[in-house]
This record gives sequence, structure tokens and C-alpha cells, in this order.
Amino acid sequence: MKKSHIALIGVIALAVAAIVITIGDASTYVGFKLADSNPGEKFTVIGQLNREEPMAYDPASGQFSFHALDKEGRSKQVLYPHPKPQDFERSEEITMKGYTRDSVFVAEEILMKCPSKYADETGVATRNDVYLADTTAQP
Amino acid sequence: MTYLGEHLLPGELGRLAVSLAFAFSLAASLAFWKYRNQPEQQRVAKWMFHIHGLAVLTLVGTLFFIMFKHYFEYDYAWKHTSTDLPVKYLFAAFWEGQEGSFILWIFWHVILGWFLIGLKSPMLGPVMAVFSAVQAFLTSMVLGIYPLGLKIGSSPFVLIRELPENVMLPWTQLADYLTRIPAFAEGNGLNPLLQNYWMTIHPPVLFLGFASTLIPFAFALAGLLNRDYKGWIKPALPWTFFSVGILGLGILMGGAWAYEALSFGGFWAWDPVENSSLVPWLVVVAAGHLMLIERNRGHNLSMTIVLALGGFLLVLYSTFLTRSGILGDTSVHAFVDLGLSGQLLIYLLFFTVLALVLWAVRFKEIPRKSGDEPMLSREFWMFLGALTLLISSFQITFSTSLPVVNKLFGPEGLVPLLQDNLAPPIDAIGHYNSFQVPFAILISLLMAVGQFLSYKNTSGKRLWERIRLSALLALVLTVLLGWVFQFYTNPIHLLLLFTSLWAVVGNLDYWTRLLKGKAAAGASMAHIGFGLILLGSLISNGKQEIISSNRTFIAKDFPQNENLVLELGDTAQMGQYQVVWTGERTEGKYKMYDVHYTRPADGLNFVLSPTILMNERMGPSAEPATRHTLGQDLYTHVTYADLEPKTIDAAGYLPSRDITMKQGDTLIVSGMFVILDSLSVNTAYLQGGQIDSIAVQAHLNIVRSTGERFEALPIFIVKGNQTLAKDAEVRDAGLYFHFAEIKPETNEFVFGIKELASNEKPFIVLKAVVFPMINLLWTGSILMVIGSFLALYERTRKKVQTA
Repeated sequence: MKKSHIALIGVIALAVAAIVITIGDASTYVGFKLADSNPGEKFTVIGQLNREEPMAYDPASGQFSFHALDKEGRSKQVLYPHPKPQDFERSEEITMKGYTRDSVFVAEEILMKCPSKYADETGVATRNDVYLADTTAQP
Repeated sequence: MTYLGEHLLPGELGRLAVSLAFAFSLAASLAFWKYRNQPEQQRVAKWMFHIHGLAVLTLVGTLFFIMFKHYFEYDYAWKHTSTDLPVKYLFAAFWEGQEGSFILWIFWHVILGWFLIGLKSPMLGPVMAVFSAVQAFLTSMVLGIYPLGLKIGSSPFVLIRELPENVMLPWTQLADYLTRIPAFAEGNGLNPLLQNYWMTIHPPVLFLGFASTLIPFAFALAGLLNRDYKGWIKPALPWTFFSVGILGLGILMGGAWAYEALSFGGFWAWDPVENSSLVPWLVVVAAGHLMLIERNRGHNLSMTIVLALGGFLLVLYSTFLTRSGILGDTSVHAFVDLGLSGQLLIYLLFFTVLALVLWAVRFKEIPRKSGDEPMLSREFWMFLGALTLLISSFQITFSTSLPVVNKLFGPEGLVPLLQDNLAPPIDAIGHYNSFQVPFAILISLLMAVGQFLSYKNTSGKRLWERIRLSALLALVLTVLLGWVFQFYTNPIHLLLLFTSLWAVVGNLDYWTRLLKGKAAAGASMAHIGFGLILLGSLISNGKQEIISSNRTFIAKDFPQNENLVLELGDTAQMGQYQVVWTGERTEGKYKMYDVHYTRPADGLNFVLSPTILMNERMGPSAEPATRHTLGQDLYTHVTYADLEPKTIDAAGYLPSRDITMKQGDTLIVSGMFVILDSLSVNTAYLQGGQIDSIAVQAHLNIVRSTGERFEALPIFIVKGNQTLAKDAEVRDAGLYFHFAEIKPETNEFVFGIKELASNEKPFIVLKAVVFPMINLLWTGSILMVIGSFLALYERTRKKVQTA
């Protein structure tokens, strides 16, 4: 057997190992329910800001707390041990990586999706409102 | 109906140019293919490509014209420009949108195609056939036609009134809509975050890098099509190293942009968008090295062909990932889905299937040498290096592709194998590093030793004589740096420290001692540069120190607070510095926060002003301020600042807020305790004994954290059907109380409380990170890019000499 063939077999073995390890490393998108039943284990939850509940940022301790609704509609208090992201109120969707601890979900990392980020559409939408307002005013 | 004030001519010209560009790229492809082996017949095909090229230039020109003139009836001009946009940002606005960046890509292909035609390669026919076919697919992305209800491409020349969401709206029936509707007077403008010089220079370089990968692809595919399995390597080789240099430059510029102007907290974060430009580069580097071996001694021709094909195919895959919207949940980058996913997928699959099927079918025909490579030969080590790069890029691609895995095998996928959708690893950076650090160790080791090996064979004794000096030197430096930066606790990092130092020292030694500083400087310089990049990344990232983190204890398993609160004018300790935030200024769209640093040890003084860009479109975003010194960078950004405009009344109070209390309740207002101690009722009678009024007085005790005490006595009065209130102000505590309501059924009392705006000291929250030795990274980047171009220059010169 040629040395280059041995090397190729080694590469294929490494590739398989990389796939297996990556799938093992990967988290899954879940709701708060699953995170609650496995406290301490890390999950990725996609949800949105629950605007009914209060949010608070305490700079001294560096804690930002808010409530999030997951895709199943379950609301939970989330503690984010980082400064409150600017413009948090405008977020449309929040991806939270973290774990349940006592009664709260501790989010180590947050990824926000703001409508304006995508959005060139928002401009168009508001313009449509303008147009409609304008044209309906015309006889 | 004719609309008033519209400028339809440039749009029609632009659409005509796109159609011509599309038609003539198809025609050129067929013509080049037909006369692939009759160079004297290719004149027509070349003319077709020239017409295609001129049409593309016209397309670029008309789109620029529309944007320069701010013709806001065009959607692309409205979305990406505004009348107050400085002309210097017009380029950035041009490629801000997807259509514009496709056009940029198409434009570079035209320029490269013209170069190829000028160089008169004997393989021109099949190469340009592939080239033009790629152009046909790319130009179709900006066609914007709807045959049989299918959307083919997205045109940058669409008028706003023609957008599908607007078509049936009543305003589109107004002839004078442009003047009547105020929204058309001004465009949306270029996103302020992108209004900087990086956005002007980074995308064209990166897209030239992407475009350049087409050349090795076209040559390798032409070789397969023509059954000329080896002849393509020589003409393609300089282009492959051009690709290495320019794509490398584009990627590094992206990292520098992130580090200098964005607050991602570093130059590299394994973000999907970063990964998808890194992977093609790794593959092109591997391909270039295998091509070098094949020119000297070929053992792995079929693999060389596959890698040369791979660079461009991975660029197509990246394009699909980043433009189809599939990465939506996993990246900090913004994506706009133009609804072209299907078309992108066809584009990707067409060339991937064509190339790989052809390769597989011709696999048996590809010549191979019998016999084994000797272990101690340069070609075998280069082959191992290429394999390492390949597996490294495979790992990055697979981890980045988890959303694709979900689409294929997720619960709602084509073949539902998985129970749940996979999300990226929680610690993504740790995940990538756990793979890539060992690969980097292997690569740098191969780079350190490889140059000292000769082609064919080298005796072990001779190799040892050659490498021992650099090995010893690297070892000494490792001991030294390992001690300075405390690497001894992490053996893997210590090993990378040694191998990357050896790669630098070894190549320097090879160049100065063995080559005597003469020939092949390019390769040595590029290798030294890459070694320095690894070394700089290892030290600056591995040994970064967040000096703003404080040790506030919350809980053992709770993440540490990495941010420091700075109250206006107060001095805080941060690492070896004393820092004071002295105030806030506004410069244009920027709010700047001046932070003064003093180092008591030596009296060093400086000011850093991190900023927040007030961006109406994307929300405010922080931009860092960095102090660069030779040995280390101090990188700071504002992670929180109160940006809400405050309303303050004439007496200096903030708006009132209602608070409900029961007797005995305590709450914290402006950092003081407010306790509802007791209530007293005073009833006043009329002369006849009837009740005139009832007054309820609340006794509120106010206690400062210093122990200072105040009392507030607001009164609530009921007189007949009316209620009155007598407010209480405690100016010394900066509080004002209004007794608003009594809820007898729950025994609750409602107070309107106002606080003096001056009660709360303004503050910002700052994050500061020290990146040691990051200049090694930048020095390495520059050396690697220059080295790649030097290697390219040396190759082309050699070619002229031998010819």
C-alpha cells in the first residue's frame, strides 16, 4: 500500500471523526420546557421578548433580566449576565444559548434579530402607509 | 398613462445591457466550446465575449448613473443612496445590495477573462467556454424576468411602483406620484454602519479573490474535458497563487475591519460568513501546493485536479449559504433573501455535478505514477500539508453547514434522520479551536521542515544538519515566550507556540542561509507570514485579558461580569490603569465617550474615545477605540450607555411614576430606601356635625445609604365628591411625592413619585480587552500577501525565461 493511500485513509477517518464530534458538540433548538427539566445542561432556545413582563438592567451587578416567550408560548425569566443590548426592545426574535438555573434561564449568549436588520422591506412598508394615507385623502 | 418625472431611459439601457450580457455569455460559451481545438476559428467567440464584457461595463455604468443621480423611482437607488450621501460612499452603496455585489463579481470575471484572452493560452477555447458559462449563470442572477411565473434573477433596475408588493396599490395609478408622495423625495441611504473606507475597499478585493478562483477551476475542468490531464497546470499555476494572495488579502481585510471598526470583540469569531470565505482559500492554497508538486514530480494528479476544482465550487457553496437565507439563525451578519435560493442551488449543483461527475468518469484515465514517494521528500510533505488543509476546511465547512444538515436530515428535512434540528455548538469558538489548533500545529510543523527537504529524496542525516539550527532557535524562543506569556499550563498551546515559531525561524533560516536571500523569496516570505499569523493569533487570542472584568461574586457557576461601570467623573481601577469617564460629545452621527487612562506605575496618560453610532436603520451600534502599541493593544468599547432622551420638568424632575405600597413596605428610589411608616387620619367637621373633609397623611421615611434620614408627609383629602392632594417635596433627597389614591379594599396606597434628574449620576458600561502581540498577526498578514504575489511574479518571470 502506498504511503499516500495510508494518508488518505487517515484523512477519511479524521473526517468521520469530525462529523461525529460536531454532531455531538451541536446543541439543539428547544423550548424552555426541556431546558427546565435538565437544569444545568446547555441548550439553544429561540424565542421572542415578552413585552407584558418587566425588564431590568442593573449595571452594578452587570445583570440584565427580561422575560422571553419560546416558540411553544411558554414565558420564562431570562438572566443575561452582560449589559443590556442596545435597542433590545426592537428585537423581533431572540436566540438564547444557556441553561436553567433555579427558576431562571441563564443566557450566556444572545443573538437578536431586529426587523430593521433585514430590512429594506420596512422602508417600503412605511412608504405604503404613506401612499395609502395620501391617496385616500384624495377625492 | 405616462408618469411624470420618471427617468426610464437609463433603466431600459441597463436592462438591455443585462439581457445582452446574458445572451452573449451563453453564445460565447457555445462558440468557444465549438472551436475549442481550432484557435484560429475562435475570433467570433472572442468577439462575443467582448460584447458580453462591454454590456457588463454598460450595466455597471447605468447602475452607477442612476445611483449618482439619485433617481429614487428606482428601488435600488432608493434603498441604497440618499441625497446627503457623500460621493465617496457611492461605491459602498453600489455593492451594499445583493444585486450590486453580483454585478461586482460579474465585473471581475470580465476583467479576468480579458486578461486570459490576452495571454493567448493554447487551452483558451475550453477555459473560456467554462468561464462564459459561469458568466451566463451569474448574469441570470440580475436578469429579473418572470417567465411562466418563475422568478429568474433580481434586477437592480426595478422601479418602486413595479415591485410585486406595490403593483395593485392605488398610488401607482397617480401620474405625478413622484412629486405628490413625499417619501420619494429622499432615499433610504447607505446604512451608516457601512459608511467607512473599509466598506469601500474590502468587498472589491474579496470579490476579486472569489472571482480569481474561477481560473484554476476553468483550467482544471478544461483539462478534464480535453483529456489533457497535466497540461493545464503550468498556465493555471500563477493564477492560483494570485488567488491565494488576493483572496487572503480580502479575508484579512475583513478581520481587520471587524477588529478596528466593529465591536465583535476581536478579528476572528468563526462566524459562518468568515468561514465561508476562509474555506475556499484553504482549498486554493492546498491546490496551489499540489500543482507545484505535480510540475516537478506527479503522484497525485487526480487529487490535484479535484482541489483545483474545489476552490471555485466552495465559493459557489458559500454564495449559496450566505445568500439563500439558510444561515439566518446562526450568524451575526445580516442576510437578505431575494428569493433566489432555487436559482443559486441550480447554479451550485450544475457546476458541482458537472465537475465531479466528469472527474469520476475520467478518473481511470488520469495518469498515475507507480511506486511510492519516499518519506523524506518535499513532495510527500507538501502532500501531507495539502491533506491537512483539506481536512481542516472540511471540518469548518461541516460545522458551518449545520443549517443545511437540518434541511436535509432534520425533522422536516428531505430524509428525516434527526429527531431535533441541530443548533451550532454552545461554545462555537471553542468547538472550532479544538479542531483547528491541532491542524495548525501540523501545518506549521510541515512548513518548518518541508522547505529543507529536497524533491525526490533527502537523507535523514542531511535533513538533521539542515534543520537543527532553526529547531534549536525555535526551542529557545518557545521557552522564553512560554515563560513571558505563561503558556506552560496548556501543552497544546505550548506546542503550537513551538511549531509556529519554528515555521517562522525555519523559513527565515532557509531563505537566508540556504538560498542566500536570492531566489524563491516569495515562498519563504509567505511561509514566514503564515507562521506569524498563527503565532500572533495564538498569543493575542489565547492570552487576551479582559481587564474590565470585576470579581463581583454572584454564584460559583455563574458567568463573570466582564464589564465595568463608570460613573461620570469617578475614578475606577481597571487592570493597571486608573480610568475616568469625563463626558460625552456628539460628532455627526457618533456619540463619543472620552475615557482618560492613567497608569500610576509610570504616570502614563492617554485618552480613548469609544463611540456609539446612532443608526436609525439598524439601531445604535458600538464602535471600539483601541490604543495600539508595539507590544499590545488595548481594545475598548461601550457596552451600554443610556441613549434615551430624558424629559425633565422646570424644577429638574423626571416624569412621575406611580408606586403602590402597603403600610410597612420598603422600596428603593434613587438609591434610597423609602418606607411607608404609618398613616394618620384627620377628620374635619362642619358646624352641624357633618363631615366636611377627611385628610389622610402618609408618613414616609427616607433613608440614604449614608444613614442620613428625611421625612415626607404627603396628604390625600376627600371633600364631598372631590379628592384633593397636598404634595410633599424633599428637595435635599431630590424626591417629590404626590398621594394619588387610596384603595380601601386592599389597604393599598398609590403615590406618584418624581426623582430629580441629578439624583442619578450618568454612567456608561465599558469593556476593555488587552490583546498582546497582535502586531505579529498584522505583520504576518502583510508578509504573506506580499510573499504570495512575489511567488506569482517569480513564476511568471521563470516562464518567460524558459520560453
